[in-house]
Amino acid sequence: MSYEIPHRWIVTFRYPLEPLPPPKELRGRPIIDPNLCIGCGACVRACPPNAITEEIDISKGIKVVKIFYGRCIFCGRCWEVCPEGAIRLSNEFELATPNKDDLIQYVVLPLHKCVNCGKPTEFTERQVVRVLTMIQELPIERREELRSKILLCRECKASFLSKPMELRGSEVYEKVKA
Amino acid sequence: MVNFWVRRSEGIEREELLRLIDQDIAGLVKEKRVATKNFVVYVVDRDKVVDVVKKLLEYEYTRLSVIAGNDERFFRRDFSLTYIIAFDKQDLYIGIRTYVPPHDLKVKSLAKEVRAAWWHERENRDLYGFEFEGLDDPRKLVLPEYWPENVHPWRKDYPYNKPVADWREGQVDYKPIKEDKIDADVVAFGPYHLVNDEPIHWRLYVKGEVIVDVEHRGFHNWRGIEKIAEGRLTYNQIPFIAERICGICGYTHACAYCQAVESIGRIDIPDRAKYIRTVMLEIERIESHLLWIGIACHILGFDTGFMHSWKIREHIMHLAEVLTGNRKTYGMNLVGGVRRDILGDRLRKAFDYLRFMRAEYRELYNMLISNTIIAKRTRDVGILPRDKAISYGVVGPVARAAGLRIDVRKDHPYAAYKELDFRVPVYSESDVLARTLVRLDEVFESFDIIEQALDRLPRGPILADVGEIPPNSEGVGYVEAPRGEDVHYVRTGLYNKVQRWRVRAPSYANVPSVKEMLIGYRIADAPIIYASVDPCLACTERCIVVKAVDNGRTYSWNQLVELSRKISRRMGL
Ligand code: SF4
Ligand code: SF4
Repeated sequence: MSYEIPHRWIVTFRYPLEPLPPPKELRGRPIIDPNLCIGCGACVRACPPNAITEEIDISKGIKVVKIFYGRCIFCGRCWEVCPEGAIRLSNEFELATPNKDDLIQYVVLPLHKCVNCGKPTEFTERQVVRVLTMIQELPIERREELRSKILLCRECKASFLSKPMELRGSEVYEKVKA
Repeated sequence: MVNFWVRRSEGIEREELLRLIDQDIAGLVKEKRVATKNFVVYVVDRDKVVDVVKKLLEYEYTRLSVIAGNDERFFRRDFSLTYIIAFDKQDLYIGIRTYVPPHDLKVKSLAKEVRAAWWHERENRDLYGFEFEGLDDPRKLVLPEYWPENVHPWRKDYPYNKPVADWREGQVDYKPIKEDKIDADVVAFGPYHLVNDEPIHWRLYVKGEVIVDVEHRGFHNWRGIEKIAEGRLTYNQIPFIAERICGICGYTHACAYCQAVESIGRIDIPDRAKYIRTVMLEIERIESHLLWIGIACHILGFDTGFMHSWKIREHIMHLAEVLTGNRKTYGMNLVGGVRRDILGDRLRKAFDYLRFMRAEYRELYNMLISNTIIAKRTRDVGILPRDKAISYGVVGPVARAAGLRIDVRKDHPYAAYKELDFRVPVYSESDVLARTLVRLDEVFESFDIIEQALDRLPRGPILADVGEIPPNSEGVGYVEAPRGEDVHYVRTGLYNKVQRWRVRAPSYANVPSVKEMLIGYRIADAPIIYASVDPCLACTERCIVVKAVDNGRTYSWNQLVELSRKISRRMGL
């Protein structure tokens, strides 16, 4: 039984004794695919009620993207802004639970470590990979210049910028390979 | 005295009218700003503002729509008050603004002569600390009784997330103003009551069964949504919170807000988006009217009508779910257009549904209008005289039942309404029956509008490119919600945030006038009279606690409904 086709006499259903599938258009529980998420935080900034939050733990070297369905209004803004298509609104709507923790999804991503000093930076490894692929299309000099900066943490970047000749982009790249 | 509506304005073009107004108030005006194409702001001195507003209200088809206070100390060290007057036949909103220095916030009150100003003045007194000289109602409007006197939460130096000092310490009970002065029994109607949209408290003073006076105290649920938006949300996040202002007509709020911002940014939204907005607005109207019809039948003891109406409503909710992804909070709007397209099989499905529902609704309609008991219970009950209706500035079905031919869809065309063909039902009896009939007729028109809009859906994109929204500009957005005109005043600030967002929902204009409707009728009629203005009836299921004391007797809500139904039975149901 479903209410896809309106019926003149049958208007009530045996739900929840029988399943009542919602229309496929329903905006239900948003789910982050942990394999695709790069931890960029675009969804965090777009989410109107702050249902998605991000936390950086430098000491552990991880970034946690956390989505709490108790606050979610199922608007789907996160879906629209995610550059990786990692977040998707599913068809699930039965979210009632006696345990609040069931309403949280965590995505834990390792932070990128500075190739010079080895300390964790504020961005994730996947973000770095993503940017490295993005700059493939740039002219080679520009690409090399950016690449040298991308792989460094903030302090190292600052010190290199003040002494630009000390370490060339290609040398940094060599370090990564090693 | 105000001579409401003595000067003809119908047939006069907008430019011509602006010239007339310029002449009328020449010498009183310090500055004139054209904010958007149909929103003009005049700056006047504060001792002149009342005269100017009264002068403008002499034109036909004008209403005092909003009085928006604002804390502009950041820009120019003053507070400001903007009296926004709607000119319904010229598609024009005129703002009369006055600046008030923070050390002396006195303004003359308008509420005695223009009843529409009554709530607005009290609200501005609560939130900004304006003093209205001559306002004879000392009670708070939106803030609770225990709120400290000199703390005004909407001043910009009060952070949006600051809790008020511990309220349990200074708890003060509500003091009705008339209770001692009037020689009558008291029936408390609410705060928790089935027919109330929000917890609202009506104090009915009765002699025998007849209501002789009424007092209102509401806003128990007041949330300060506007402050949250001003404090932390960006332009594109606000449509979603705007949608949550009301559980029944949320989409109109999202639309009104987006239109206000679009008018500020001079954004022309794509045609397809306009049509989709129209479709969703009308789906919401049908849904809301069917809900109201059901509740009204229930109050009159006609539960078959209630079931039947809600059965049809379930279908329209399902249609909304198919088109938008949600039954109620559609989440369709962004500044610049809509987010979901109506494509392919959904379009076909919508037509199927509409055909089916129209047939069902016609059956319900015939059943209701041929029912003598509904006619008997509603005819000549809760009459709102025309002059009162004008003074209170009522909108929507309440105004149209009082013979005022106003409808934002026709008067201030927005979305795609200009290109669609529909009729606006108007009745002149101004009783509960007339209000019922207006709504019953409107549902048919809404079916027509949706079908036309879906039929003519133009091709193209659904979201416009939005450039930068100019800071420090202002605009109004307006939508004909199921309950009447819904106005949003938006003023943009720095850093992609709104500086002031004032929402005037239609019930804000209609509910004060219930006072006039109730006086002279019986207690048993009170539920249907109050329900007849269609205050959002969202929290129906959760309201069970009612204590009403009359001559030492206590009525529960069920007993009150029983009383109402007994009268129906006496009339021969
Ligand atoms: S659906 Fe909306 S509210 Fe929910 S997580 Fe995504 S952006 Fe936030
Ligand atoms: S926007 Fe997408 S990729 Fe970025 S943090 Fe959110 S889910 Fe992950």
